[in-house]
Amino acid sequence: MSDYAISVKNVSKKFKLFHEKRDSIYESAAGFFQKKRHSEILQALDDISFNVKHGEIFGIIGRNGDGKTTLLRIISKIYSPDSGSVDVKGRVIPVLSIGLGFHPELTAVTNIYQSSILLGFKKEDISKRIHEIIKFAELERFADTKIKNFSAGMQMRLAFATSVLVDPDILLLDEVFAIGDLNFQKKCFDTIMSFKKRGKAIIFVSHDMEPIKNFCDTVMFLKEGKVGKIGSPEESIAAYVDYLAKHPEINPKENLSDIV
Amino acid sequence: MTTIREEMWKTKDILFNFAISDLKIRYRNSVLGVLWSFIEPLLLLAVLFVVFSTMFRFEIPNFPIYLLLGIICYRFFQNGTTIALNSLTNRSATITQIYFPRSIPGLSAGITSAIMLVFELAVLGIFMAVFQFTPPITILLLPLILALEFILVLGIALPLSILNVKFKDTEFIWGVVISAGFFLTPIFYQFDMLPQAIQNVLQFSPMVQLVTMAHHVVLYGIFPSVNTILYAVGSISTITVIGYLIFRKYQARIAEEM
Repeated sequence: MSDYAISVKNVSKKFKLFHEKRDSIYESAAGFFQKKRHSEILQALDDISFNVKHGEIFGIIGRNGDGKTTLLRIISKIYSPDSGSVDVKGRVIPVLSIGLGFHPELTAVTNIYQSSILLGFKKEDISKRIHEIIKFAELERFADTKIKNFSAGMQMRLAFATSVLVDPDILLLDEVFAIGDLNFQKKCFDTIMSFKKRGKAIIFVSHDMEPIKNFCDTVMFLKEGKVGKIGSPEESIAAYVDYLAKHPEINPKENLSDIV
Repeated sequence: MTTIREEMWKTKDILFNFAISDLKIRYRNSVLGVLWSFIEPLLLLAVLFVVFSTMFRFEIPNFPIYLLLGIICYRFFQNGTTIALNSLTNRSATITQIYFPRSIPGLSAGITSAIMLVFELAVLGIFMAVFQFTPPITILLLPLILALEFILVLGIALPLSILNVKFKDTEFIWGVVISAGFFLTPIFYQFDMLPQAIQNVLQFSPMVQLVTMAHHVVLYGIFPSVNTILYAVGSISTITVIGYLIFRKYQARIAEEM
């Protein structure tokens, strides 16, 4: 057995890209007799392997659509891989885009309970921390407001506060700092550093190279669904920039300076 | 890797919590709230009672209780399966953002409908008191019949929740099945009033078996025959096993279909 917190081995994932999605029984039956292809295969992830140690912050960078979020979804079991395996030690909380699987018709407090119970945490443990979560998210006045009335920033804050305060062993963060004011961002960074000190593993996806450079121990550059580079933040960012420079059609040169 | 069954067992605590929030969402913004659980079957009862005791006149003794019992049994089935139908599709955000066992929404729909059933049985009790009807001792078998029905509800709820994600028209097809089933189940008539040929076909429906057994034990003090019981248990377990297999086939990829 390895002492890694997350161990990803040869993971591949294909998606069917539907040009005309058949999602009714009638269409499936009718389509069965048609010769025309209605979908093509998109290789979202191709033979990805990497390990994350306890107490490590692992960054993932790459273009939009190159598989970053898909990879996080596979690690958190939302998707199942076509081949390969993911071994995760402990409870994982994924914070993807906005929200943590919140239901718009339930209040903030009910949602905290529901999401964390669904993720496998005990109700009593959450009860002890509920005030802390609301306070961290700076939503004291909105604790019993329905989520559908929340702004994107409020939802994100609630999701982040919930995910760090229920104390998971592994945290997956996808572009979480796009939202939130400077004060909140600082609080997030502090929390992440304390997670690291306590030996928890964090995977961090961002398009912003600044936090990647400052916080990550190791960075993986995902290139069209394959591992482009795994190394120190400097090495991987250099590989990413190099790749973008060679493909000016994807990313015009003049914007490169903004990225780095 | 844990199997689905282990996972389902581990998450049994979550189910109840989920069922309660299902009820909360169901009655959100409604003034009467959970009272709808009483009002809905009573309104249906009133309509059917007027139609079939004045216009069509079936000579069924204790007709109001006969009718209400049938309605309650059928509504248990109807509620559980229709809540399950949209239980996954309504939670697409949750499903694409976090992982949890995909069986939870479907199973908790069954529990939600069981909670509603308890309310409705209270209404039945009130009715019996009002009509001064003393049920025979065999009524003690009713919980067993309802428990069997609960297994049927779960066995259909689970695959329906998944199939409705995969095929959007499952919802419409099931709606037709539910409406047709209401008329093809002896709720406002007695099974032996039907022509023999139709009886021969309909006797295979588990709902026909369950409702008939319920009528027998609550109203007539008739103990269901061993044949009937074996047949009901057999057909319901077959449906539940097939349902579980369908669920297992599709559940892993459900987030991608959202």
